Amino acid sequence: MEGYIVTISITILIYMLLAGGLSLQYGFTGLINFGHVGFFAIGSYTSALLAMQGVPILICMMAATALAALFAFPLGMIALRLRGDYLAIVTLGFSESVRMVLQKEEWLTRGVHGIPGIPRLFGNGPAADLWILATLVIVNIIVFAGIKGMIKSPFGRVIGAIRDNEVAVRALGKDPARFKTRSLAIGAALAGLAGAFQSHYLTFISPEQFVPLITFYVWMAIIMGGVSRLSGVVVGTVMLVGFLEGSRFLREIFPGVSEVQLSSVRFWIIGMALICTMLYRPDGLFGERKTVKK
Amino acid sequence: MDWLSIVNAGINGTVLGLLLALPALAVTLVFGIARFPNVATGDYMTLGAYAAVAAQTFGGLSLVASGVFASLTVGVVSLFFYFWVFRALAQRPLVSRLIASIGVAFAVRSTITFFAGHYQYNIEAPLVRAWNFNGVRILPTDVYIAVTAIVALVLVFMLMRFTPMGRRMRAVADNPELASASGINARRVMVLLWSIVGIFCGLGGFLLGVKAVVIPELGFELLLTIFAAVILGGIGTPIGAVVGILVFGISQEIGSLYVGPAYKIVMAFLVLLCVLLLRPQGIFGRIQAAR
Amino acid sequence: MSQTINTGRRHFTLAGAAAGAASVLPFWARAQGAAPKGEPIRIGALTSMTGTGGVYGPGMLQAMRLAVDEVNAAGGAGGRPLQLFNEDDQTRPDAAVLAARKLVDISKVDLIAGVWSSSVALAILPITNGAGIMMLNTCGSPDLKTEDKQDLVWQYQAANDVFGKAFAQIARQRGFKNPAVMAFNNSTFVGQANYFRKSWEEGGGKVSAYVIYEPNQTTYRTELARVLATKPDVIALSSYTPDATIILKEWYQNGQPCKFIMPGWSANENLIKALGADATEGIIAVSNVAATNHPTFKHFDAAFRKLTGRESDVFAAECYDMIISYALAVESAGPNADLKSINTRMRSVTNTPGTKVTSFAQGRDLLRKSEKIDYDGASSTLEFGPAGDAVPDFGVFEIQGGKLVAKEVIPGTI
Repeated sequence: MEGYIVTISITILIYMLLAGGLSLQYGFTGLINFGHVGFFAIGSYTSALLAMQGVPILICMMAATALAALFAFPLGMIALRLRGDYLAIVTLGFSESVRMVLQKEEWLTRGVHGIPGIPRLFGNGPAADLWILATLVIVNIIVFAGIKGMIKSPFGRVIGAIRDNEVAVRALGKDPARFKTRSLAIGAALAGLAGAFQSHYLTFISPEQFVPLITFYVWMAIIMGGVSRLSGVVVGTVMLVGFLEGSRFLREIFPGVSEVQLSSVRFWIIGMALICTMLYRPDGLFGERKTVKK
Repeated sequence: MDWLSIVNAGINGTVLGLLLALPALAVTLVFGIARFPNVATGDYMTLGAYAAVAAQTFGGLSLVASGVFASLTVGVVSLFFYFWVFRALAQRPLVSRLIASIGVAFAVRSTITFFAGHYQYNIEAPLVRAWNFNGVRILPTDVYIAVTAIVALVLVFMLMRFTPMGRRMRAVADNPELASASGINARRVMVLLWSIVGIFCGLGGFLLGVKAVVIPELGFELLLTIFAAVILGGIGTPIGAVVGILVFGISQEIGSLYVGPAYKIVMAFLVLLCVLLLRPQGIFGRIQAAR
Repeated sequence: MSQTINTGRRHFTLAGAAAGAASVLPFWARAQGAAPKGEPIRIGALTSMTGTGGVYGPGMLQAMRLAVDEVNAAGGAGGRPLQLFNEDDQTRPDAAVLAARKLVDISKVDLIAGVWSSSVALAILPITNGAGIMMLNTCGSPDLKTEDKQDLVWQYQAANDVFGKAFAQIARQRGFKNPAVMAFNNSTFVGQANYFRKSWEEGGGKVSAYVIYEPNQTTYRTELARVLATKPDVIALSSYTPDATIILKEWYQNGQPCKFIMPGWSANENLIKALGADATEGIIAVSNVAATNHPTFKHFDAAFRKLTGRESDVFAAECYDMIISYALAVESAGPNADLKSINTRMRSVTNTPGTKVTSFAQGRDLLRKSEKIDYDGASSTLEFGPAGDAVPDFGVFEIQGGKLVAKEVIPGTI
């Protein structure tokens, strides 16, 4: 029982890093990023490939975070001049292109065969999972404290203003593009960090793990929790993973339905949850928090 | 690469482009009038294909009749979701409608797999050999598909250009506030819009099923290409959607002769990015005021 | 405002409590068969119900159910009833890890069986190895052989290297001179294609074209045209049924004469149904199923058809064998044996030498008399190599007049 709870918690915490990054990009800066899984992939593969060459894991993870952020810059320069709906599609194209490159360049990534045997964080012993969990908890606390601090800082006020009224920001003489790019990069860095954790936890990665469905899941998490509240991000992620895992146990409630059909039911419920949240609880399940302190 | 391969790849790309022009049109109309990227387009297509299979298996309908049935079924479903979901979200930000359409996509696909499972199905259509003109190969099935698509497109264009309803749609697309101030009934326009969306996605899915196989992922995988093509051609411009998807289809097929199939989608995106940098409104679009 | 927050929170808490309560419901509801007593054997079926493997997963689960019912009807393995717990891995490694964890930690399974995708198998390997339990799969990746450090992994499907070599051997034996290769872009098929090419070129000659195609495309005409431009006499097509259907449709309509060698799981009745007898005439299908009139296969296939109304495929047959062979291993090790000693019995009940048996009941009776048996399964003769991989003989079939006709059998080689 404990092993299962630990595994779920680790999954939740990795998704929380992803959701935190996306929340910064969309909830606080208004960037409609549908390519989040691309940065997840970059972080994951960077960390894995370096680790397979014998580089110490800590350095690999830092490199993964940095590289993911680096990729955000060219994407930002090109994409941030575009309108919101364009940005969504271009970022989606970015993440799919990343996946295709990872798949094609076998000499670097082993292509479709994936990379097995990645060195695990804290080794393979029975307590390793608990150490990974503890590390993730600490990292998440630091990250979320950092984001909160950023939101309250002058930088945070500018990006909030950009989200609400970009023209006004420009009128005040500030260049929105620079701030948007920085926000994109920080969110990407968090995704990259999450990817590094994924690599050193699963010990096997392959391009098919980094499909747009993951981006959609992260969006679900922040939507359900409320896009611009950090507590909402935490709640939304727990709900997302809780639902995805909890739906396993639906079988005990509906014994007459076959397994294949149950997976359809699960997806149907996800679809309905998205629709109903948008219709009836657009600010997340707990309602809009009062606007940012003036 | 010899010119023969290029010509054949070009033909393949053209047929594919014409087939995908139907959902592309649906996407661009929704973009222009309801103002959001409709992720459910792909799964509406899938629904069309499955509806045709059901029509053939349970109703014993002919190929043409199943196609009609497929289009009408998806039209009804599309209207249902408009009345329940998209109408209520009309005034909300774009992301709400986008996310809701993702929800609709999941709901439609999971309903299909609940009943039909994940096996592959087939739309019964005769297998005929290609006509061979000195190495240039043209498939009769492809010709039927192309003709059907062209006829549907022409009908819609005529509708948009020459009928009062069509003019009203274009007015709402251009400037919704002015349109409603002029007394145009937005509800009627939307009903027409979503009917067209449903019918075209259903028809596109049916044609796709005839050409390939019917599996649950049928439509969803094509979404990226369709969206990119719509942006390339200019959001909200029907002619742009058709031109965009044709350009994409042909260049992808010919391009894959040189870079291999894996990079098809990457190439498409590089093309898209270049165009957006140079001409952000797309080929046929008009520059819109900053939002 | 506070009203809405409270409602939301209350709903959330209720839902969470319900999920939590459901998760600790006892699983005795799944007990099968009244006759066998003793500590139940808990089998974790980790199948691909959705995703790429979703075409095969449900059938694989049904096959396992079939085997479990047969064993329980015969009194259980070593008198112990079999219990099946199923989870969907969605053919995705990250989802599989959670599913495997649930099976190991909550359902407390003794082994995990029915794994279809190599990426899934590699991803859950740390979990099954960490728990010291066996993993029975239908994967083709040779990586599994090297990563299987505790000899707990049993591959019932021929690994890609064995398959690729078999393809090449069959092509050579039938006198083809100019083969081309087309393969679906995933680990299994790229592996098969590579080994085909290596094996062919080792025997002298070159492949005329080597094209890996992307999944989920509407049309493969351009890829096919590239291959056909080199005028091959046979195409080794490593594919699944949906893409094979599209490619063959387009080849037939293209009209250029060419033969095809395909794996048995895609060149089957579903393909014939989709394409018709004309387009499929002469296709060579290669399968682990050594002979369709082998008694174990005939029995399994008939039972499978009765249960599901569908034709069985080689993956389902392999899953059936997983359960039967495991049950025989338990029978051989004794009802109180621990997992490690059951593991060591796997080869002794399936490999030569020994009296050939074709069913659980038959094998059990002989084991009770302390005789050495050799279970020949529905999927292959199940001769496990040192890395726990089955090196089957391959049955070569041809599609003639819309039916699969058995031709020759060739031995598999590493």
